[in-house]
Amino acid sequence: MQKDFHYYATYAAAYIAGYSHEESMAVCYSAQFVDWCSKTFLSKIKAPQTAATTQLQLEMMDARTDVIGLQDITRIWSSFHFLPYDLYAEKKKCTRLYRDKYRLICNVNGDLVVDTVKLAKDAGLQAVGLAMHILADTWAHRYFAGTPSLVINNTNYYFYELLSDGETEQERKIAFRHSPSKPDDLDKGLYTNSVYQRNENSVMNLGHGRAGHLPDYSFMRYKYLPAWGDYEEIIKDNPSDYLHAFCQMIYAMKYLRGTIEDFKKECYDWDAIAPWEDEIKAILAKRQLDSCEDWKAFGEKLSGQEIGDFELDAYTEEYLQAAKDEKDNTFLGKFITAALAQKSMVTNRIFKSGNILAGVSVDLVKDSLGELWKYGKRFFPYAKRRHNASKEAENGREDLR
Amino acid sequence: MSMLQRVQNVLAGLLMIAGSVVMILSPDDGCAVIAWSLSILMILAGIRSFFYYFTMARHMVGGEMLLYTGAIVFDFGMLTNAVSDSPKLFVIFYLLLIHAFSGLVDILRGLEAKRLEAPSWRLATIRGIINLLTIVFCVIFVRSTQVLVGIYCLGLIYSACTRIYSAFRKTAMVYIPR
Repeated sequence: MQKDFHYYATYAAAYIAGYSHEESMAVCYSAQFVDWCSKTFLSKIKAPQTAATTQLQLEMMDARTDVIGLQDITRIWSSFHFLPYDLYAEKKKCTRLYRDKYRLICNVNGDLVVDTVKLAKDAGLQAVGLAMHILADTWAHRYFAGTPSLVINNTNYYFYELLSDGETEQERKIAFRHSPSKPDDLDKGLYTNSVYQRNENSVMNLGHGRAGHLPDYSFMRYKYLPAWGDYEEIIKDNPSDYLHAFCQMIYAMKYLRGTIEDFKKECYDWDAIAPWEDEIKAILAKRQLDSCEDWKAFGEKLSGQEIGDFELDAYTEEYLQAAKDEKDNTFLGKFITAALAQKSMVTNRIFKSGNILAGVSVDLVKDSLGELWKYGKRFFPYAKRRHNASKEAENGREDLR
Repeated sequence: MSMLQRVQNVLAGLLMIAGSVVMILSPDDGCAVIAWSLSILMILAGIRSFFYYFTMARHMVGGEMLLYTGAIVFDFGMLTNAVSDSPKLFVIFYLLLIHAFSGLVDILRGLEAKRLEAPSWRLATIRGIINLLTIVFCVIFVRSTQVLVGIYCLGLIYSACTRIYSAFRKTAMVYIPR
């Protein structure tokens, strides 16, 4: 997904869910910030780099693809962009090496989505935005894994766009090219994708790179053969998926606001969008590379307020100027805390399933501070605070008893 | 191109130049050494492909291609190893065959890159054409072993230089995980 959905559509969903204009702005800024919070950015503001939620192109060019490097890549992309669907999925007669990668395939309505949304409860608007980015991406990025893998993420020549004029439907073979400077050509059906690399762990085989930007376009409908799918064709209907994502975000944010008591899988707030359903469907189905203008207009019509453009450095100065012990209370500080909590949770779940592709995880509450130190000194200050808070809460509960 | 791939390209280029120099200085022994090294590298690459196929790629759509490629590379390696003790002219012709094969592959890759509008098509095509021209010259001067070895080594040195040049080239990277 791109800025049109992560920023403007998330604003609209937050507003429909009941947040005020200002709160919705904080939510959508945080949702879009997930695509910009790189190690480079964090080093610029002197924040812990373990909180990175994305990797920039230049960072990827230098990324190591040894075990440690792959774990770092997997932690970031699995936690924030390709949330695994079933960490205990089985596939017959396969090696553990293959199975571990197979289990990281992203899909909608997995247990981790529930964990992600519940983790954001009472954790601030930044955590809400972060969770909405992850939830929305499960719809756009389904069937791909957030780890470099040829055997999971590759696609081949069997790739067709499904075009419909309302009455008839026709297929058009998609032509992929590797020219990064040229935009996708919707009229000719020319799309940019990553170069085929025989190396299993090449970063070219990360996520949906081999399928180009197709999963990011809300209007796109296509069919293809996923590398892992045993030659079974998949039809990806983005307009439908994006509409589901929008309604699930509203439902999730109503839960996070306290309007709904529990967050459950496969629940969508269709009633909430009923007054604007046709308008939303029209935006999703419009063939264009960028829907920002349409979503912005829709969001502004809803709230009657102007939605400012996303500015990466909007909260940088606040974080830089804050005293050391006050940084956690700044906008970016709260986002960083939420990002660390999410990354820690997903890494832990993957590790506990017996899969070390995302690295080793230690339990914040059960393990000693010495164990936490081993997890990484940059992560340590955050871990120590969480550890102490957990201990205090535990002591408080004992006092009450 | 990752740092490791760049280092690999530079090392391979330097090895190719060193091999060429050895062959020019001592054509008889040089041929055998090059053929033997080539055979070992191809056998190892073939075994690696088999391992990858049976542990991972057999579940992948189109994964059989990786198995076939591995089998061909392994077979080439075994054949090269078998002929490394044969007369020099035979080894030269065998190596030329490989040169012709890589020349054709380079041209096909260049054409594909051009079709995909990737800027790398020129370098790949030129490399392929020079590889094929090397074969033509070898056929013309087939009677002179010295000339044959010299021409072959020049081709090899050129390939080595392009490899090293590629290692230092800025490579635009298409990367779309979001």
